[in-house]
Amino acid sequence: MKRNSLVLGAVLAILAFFGWAGWVNFEFRKQAAERLLAPAPGGELKAGPASDGPPFIPMLLGKPAPAFTLENLGGKKVPLSDYKGKALLINFWATWCGPCKIETPWLIVLRNQYAAQGFEVLGISMDDLDHGNPRALSEEKQEIARFVQQTQIPYPVLIDGDSISRPYGGLDELPTSFFVNRNGIVVAAQLGVTSKAEIEGNIRKALGGGN
Amino acid sequence: MRVAVALVLGLVGLMAQAQMYVDSARSITKPAVVQYLYPEQITIPAGRPSTVTLHFRISPGLHINSHTPTEDQLIPTTFSIPASAGVRLEGAVYPPGAEFRLPLDPGTRLSVYTGEFTVQARLVATAGDHLVEAKLRYQACDSNACMPPRTIIAAIDVIGRRE
Repeated sequence: MKRNSLVLGAVLAILAFFGWAGWVNFEFRKQAAERLLAPAPGGELKAGPASDGPPFIPMLLGKPAPAFTLENLGGKKVPLSDYKGKALLINFWATWCGPCKIETPWLIVLRNQYAAQGFEVLGISMDDLDHGNPRALSEEKQEIARFVQQTQIPYPVLIDGDSISRPYGGLDELPTSFFVNRNGIVVAAQLGVTSKAEIEGNIRKALGGGN
Repeated sequence: MRVAVALVLGLVGLMAQAQMYVDSARSITKPAVVQYLYPEQITIPAGRPSTVTLHFRISPGLHINSHTPTEDQLIPTTFSIPASAGVRLEGAVYPPGAEFRLPLDPGTRLSVYTGEFTVQARLVATAGDHLVEAKLRYQACDSNACMPPRTIIAAIDVIGRRE
C-alpha cells in the first residue's frame, strides 16, 4: 500500500513536471513568435544610424574589416589589402536594388570630393553569379558592367559579394556600407539608404576627422 | 525507489531543457517575407487544364516586385512547379502591380505587390494524389533597403480525379 502510494506520487510528480515544462515551453515559444512577427518600427526592415543598427554592426565596429579577394569586372583578383593605408567605404549593392541606385550618385560625388585625402569607395556587387554556367555567368557580368557604365561609377567595382557575406554579417539587406579607417578598422556601418550627409559624416570618421 | 524516481525526474527535466534550447535555436531563423496561405489541397479533373487561385501574403511594411516590374534589372515575381511532380503548370496569371514610389526617389515608378495577392495557376495533373512543392520567387524591399531574391515553397496536395 505504502509502495503504491509512493509510485502514484512519483507518477503525479512526473506528470506535473511535464505540465510545467510544457507551459514554460509554450510561453517561451509564444514570446519568441511575438518577437519574430512584430513589425519593425515603421514597418521597415531596419536601422539607420550605426548606434541603433542590427547586431552585426556592433559586432564589426572597432574590428579589422574582414579580409577578402574578389574579382573586378575585368577578371582581375583584387584583395582588400590593395587598399591598405586608405580610408574606405565598402558598399554592398546589387543591380536589382532600387535604394542602392538612389545612393550611388551620392557615393560618386563623395568619392570624387574626398579622393585626394586618401579615400576610396569599393563597390561590391551582390548580384547572383552562376559559376556553373559560363554563358549565364558572362551575361550576369555584362549586366553588372552595363549598370556600372550607365551610372558612370568611377570607383572599383568587385563582383561575387555573396561569397564574403558571412564575415560581413550575412548582408541580408542592401545597400549595406562599412566605413574603414586607414588602419583597416571598421569605424561605422550603415544599413539601407540613409542620407548623403550621414554617409559624408562616416567618410570623415574613416578619414580620421570625426563627425 | 526514491533514487529511481529522482533519476526519472532529472531525466525529464533535462529533456525539457533540451527542448527549450532546440526551440530557441529555431526561433533565430527569420520568417519568410512572403507566406503561402491556401489552398493546401485541390481536386481537379485528371488530364484537363484547371485554373486554381493560390493565395499569398507579404509581411507588413514590405513590397515585392510584381510579375511585370518597371525596369529590366528588377526581379519579377514568378510562380513555377517542378517538372517531375505529376502536375504541370500550363500558365500563370498574375495580378497587375500597384504603383509605388520610393520617398527618396519619387521620380521612379515601381510596380509592386503588397499585403495579400493571388496567382491564377493553370494546372494539368495526372490521375492520383500528388504532393506538389510549387515555388514562388520574389525579391522584397521596403522604402530604404532590399533583400536578396528568395524562393518559397508552396506545398499543395493536388488530387487528379479520374473522370
